Amino acid sequence: MSGAGHVLAAEGIAFEYRAGQPVLAGVSLAAAPGRLTCLLGPNGSGKTTLLKCLLGQLSPRAGRVLLDGRPVADHSPRELARLVAYVPQFPASAFRFTVRQIVLMGRFAHTGVLGLAGPRDLAVAREAMNMTQTLGFADRTLEELSGGEAQRVMIARALAQQPSVVLLDEPTSHLDIKNQLRIYEMMRRLAHDWPMAVVCVSHDVNVAARFADDLVLMRAGRVVATGPPREVIREDVLREAYDVEIDLVPAPPDDVPIVRAR
Amino acid sequence: MADAPGPTAGALSAGKLAAIVVALLAATAAVGGLCSLAGLAEMTPQVWLSRALRLLAAAVVGASLAAGGAALQGLLRNPLAEPYILGISSGAGVGVLLGLAASARVALPLWASTPVLAFAGAMATCAAVYAIAQRRGRLDPYSLILSGVIVNSFNGAIMLTIYLYVDRYRIADFAYWAMGQLPDSTNLRLLAVCGACAVGGWGVLLASAAGFNVLGLGDDVAASSGVSVHRLRLATFAAVGLMTAAAVALAGPVGFLGLIVPHLCRMAFGADHRLGVLASGFAGAIFLMAAETLCRTIGPYLGAGRIPVGIVTALTGGPFFIYLLRRRFREGVE
Repeated sequence: MSGAGHVLAAEGIAFEYRAGQPVLAGVSLAAAPGRLTCLLGPNGSGKTTLLKCLLGQLSPRAGRVLLDGRPVADHSPRELARLVAYVPQFPASAFRFTVRQIVLMGRFAHTGVLGLAGPRDLAVAREAMNMTQTLGFADRTLEELSGGEAQRVMIARALAQQPSVVLLDEPTSHLDIKNQLRIYEMMRRLAHDWPMAVVCVSHDVNVAARFADDLVLMRAGRVVATGPPREVIREDVLREAYDVEIDLVPAPPDDVPIVRAR
Repeated sequence: MADAPGPTAGALSAGKLAAIVVALLAATAAVGGLCSLAGLAEMTPQVWLSRALRLLAAAVVGASLAAGGAALQGLLRNPLAEPYILGISSGAGVGVLLGLAASARVALPLWASTPVLAFAGAMATCAAVYAIAQRRGRLDPYSLILSGVIVNSFNGAIMLTIYLYVDRYRIADFAYWAMGQLPDSTNLRLLAVCGACAVGGWGVLLASAAGFNVLGLGDDVAASSGVSVHRLRLATFAAVGLMTAAAVALAGPVGFLGLIVPHLCRMAFGADHRLGVLASGFAGAIFLMAAETLCRTIGPYLGAGRIPVGIVTALTGGPFFIYLLRRRFREGVE
């Protein structure tokens, strides 16, 4: 529904919050339409910082973030919002907005000064809620929903921006297994069927390896391995990245082996 | 999914907004008209005109403070924020008092100097409160209230100092102003300047309100949705400063209006800040016109002449603040 796919790419970006303490040191990555990319790595490896650089909210000290070859920093916030959307780790709303109001907020960059919803905005919001199966509780507030339902609302809100790229920051870190799988299935469907580029910071190696098309494994602000799950889920690579002894448990044929910390 | 609610419920369309504006405008005009007729005094054109102008001033003050409160609450994600509590009113008050005191020595037209000095004081206070409460760009709700309290008492001390230099025969005028009293005779030029500031500021806030909505989901979400968060903050503080300056120049410090009215409007219209800022403006005008009329008609029975309207809002608003605060604790918010 958003036309031709767009490519979001980081080229050798470096970032530091405090001088002399690099958080990212030369990270490159490309998010292409039709692919679900999961960012993996131990806490403090720079995954969230990388996501904020990709969003254009942090400016890298070196390197560039490009959207279709044009620097992200050259886009106005509204322009960028029509191309790249973001889903936070914890859904939160300071006021008692209904689910429909929240999803319609995704139309901010498409509407005028007052953000009034026209027929097209309502149709896009409805489609986003349909996709995320949130239409059934459209008139409830976020605090009346379960964690999984609330996170689906935040995904619907991001989809209402009609982006080409969706970035998610550990969207399932507080969800049970069933809801984790549901969100990952949804992300894969978005990447493959809509199709858009989906980039997701993950804390669960096994779930990410099962669903992602590409994995990017980070450690201490650098990418240590990247590629399809089969190439990244290797004993030596993971041991080095997470600094823990691991075993690979063979899964059914054609599946990526399961990682078990020893 | 067959009985799922229709796609338009809860969405704000241009038609719905226009209908609400018309209804609120009619209600405001009706209340204003009724208020101008209430009372025992013999009705002459002069009496009516003087009342109507005072009610118009009350409407400007009420709309400014209530819409400003609604906007601050949205911007700061804090239902306790309000121009009076955050000290912005007292900053404007210092400016107004300086203007009044200086007018004894320097010939300055009141209608020009008062709003300008009030605006300068309001903006200086905004900057001070923000600087005290922020930590790495984030604002803790209670630090914000606390720095408002501190700046309020600091500004209070400055105002008392100004009193020391004022001709003692004029102290009474100053004291009534400090109680939040609309003057007996309304200065037309001052009303025009302040009215224009209020309407202009209100327009800026209405144009910012869609941004407040998204900001309610967090700074990151707002920025990635296309909101220029930093610019929104600056524009909102400037507009609220301007409106507060207008209100304080007309009526002195009228407190808690920006707390009560937006809260009632949220109960009536829901969380949407576009409706909140819009309805709070009208409802604030209605509230203060009604309160002013009550003060005028009841005062003589209490042997106090016309009661300053600021006393009434403070007496009702103080307990209301405590109620909101306690409810926040009960709900376990932060």
